[in-house]
Amino acid sequence: MDYKAVIIGGSAGSFQVVTRILNSMPKNFPIPVLLCLHRLKHVRSGFVEALSLKSSIPVEEPYDKDQLKPSHAYLAPANYHMYIELANRIALSTEDPVNHSRPSIDLSFITAANAYRQKLIGIILSGANKDGAYGLKKVHDNGGTTIVQDPNECEVRTMTQSALQLTKVDHVYSTDQIIKYLLKL
Amino acid sequence: MTELGIVDIREIYKTVKEIYNYDFSQYAMTSFKQRLERLIIKNNISNAENLVNKLKNNPEFFDLFLYEISVPSTEMFRDPSLWRWLREEYLPDAIDKSISKYKIFLPNCVSGGELYSLTILLKELELSDNVNILATTVSNKSIEYIKEGRYDLKKIEVSSENYKRFQGNSDFTDYYTLDRYYAFRDTGIIKDVEFKKQNINFDDSPQNVKLILFRNNLIYFNPSLQEKILQHMYNCLSAGGYLILGIRERIRNLNIIKDFEIINEAEGVYKKRIGQ
Repeated sequence: MDYKAVIIGGSAGSFQVVTRILNSMPKNFPIPVLLCLHRLKHVRSGFVEALSLKSSIPVEEPYDKDQLKPSHAYLAPANYHMYIELANRIALSTEDPVNHSRPSIDLSFITAANAYRQKLIGIILSGANKDGAYGLKKVHDNGGTTIVQDPNECEVRTMTQSALQLTKVDHVYSTDQIIKYLLKL
Repeated sequence: MTELGIVDIREIYKTVKEIYNYDFSQYAMTSFKQRLERLIIKNNISNAENLVNKLKNNPEFFDLFLYEISVPSTEMFRDPSLWRWLREEYLPDAIDKSISKYKIFLPNCVSGGELYSLTILLKELELSDNVNILATTVSNKSIEYIKEGRYDLKKIEVSSENYKRFQGNSDFTDYYTLDRYYAFRDTGIIKDVEFKKQNINFDDSPQNVKLILFRNNLIYFNPSLQEKILQHMYNCLSAGGYLILGIRERIRNLNIIKDFEIINEAEGVYKKRIGQ
């Protein structure tokens, strides 16, 4: 399958997992990586720097209408929703929080699913609420590939379990398996 | 949930263009689609066809449409560091140097978050009498909403946290009252503000403006429309006037950037170049 993007959603307990994934990526990872992680809305800086430290690909907080590039990771900025437009561009939004979250994992996943259809891989990691479950379902409904981190491995399992309840996902993987899967792309 | 397809959205563009001469075709698609779907749910409209019919036959509904399509500012004192910058680095001096009343323009207010924040800031600086503020909205409903002062409790809570980080010199509760369901902002704060309805092209904007507060509006447009609207904003400003955009809106890829000087990139502050 010729994928166009990977989108990863997570909340409490996902930071270490994302760090490990980014650390293990080859420098020439063939597609963009979209990261929608819950974060403190008033803390603008620090997060992307922390993720960059060990990442083998550049991690950026995009500006509105930035063009997505392969081998780059894009972290949804604090207090904005991050949408994917059809022309492979980011669009940011200040619409109301969804499930008390802005960025909302659901909205990032829904818009990415719309833009990339079956050419999208959606991954839900550890987290403390159900944001992302509906978004992952949309990835599935549009023919994309769905992966959920093994709840037994999650620091907080609410997010992954909610996703599993709503969608018959393609894979339930440990962090190591997720990494192995992505390395094969 | 009704999901709109491209064809539905094109039909909506067409109807609105034909009947009201408003062109939404250069709005960013994902958020526009989302706003339409939200409008459909909130008003119990069953599908796109019914929405189109309602738009055709009901100018009052069109006003509601304009209100719902515009995204309200999310909270008061969003990005407290910008408001601190305005207070500590910019406004008192700029207003002091202004020979006539210092003119401030807030295009496309929807819920008044920015407007109330600004007027509170000016009040705390004791500069309310030295400014002229023009706030425009694209719908009549927005003007009513802002003048009524009603605000969601959740938004008041978030605004109150922002105000603490802004380190204002009052107690934030001085600026609103509460009932069981809503907060009501003190409308006395905005009593001297001039309100006007404006079209979505912003080509009917005022002149000789010293400061434009236009944060998180450009994100809802495609780059070509961003460029056009920024040109109108540029024309409104007096030489050396300031334009403030959202912190994740970047105009460095647009041609118009050459006409502005970057004053504070982190807070999205730009200055109209002098002598052009």
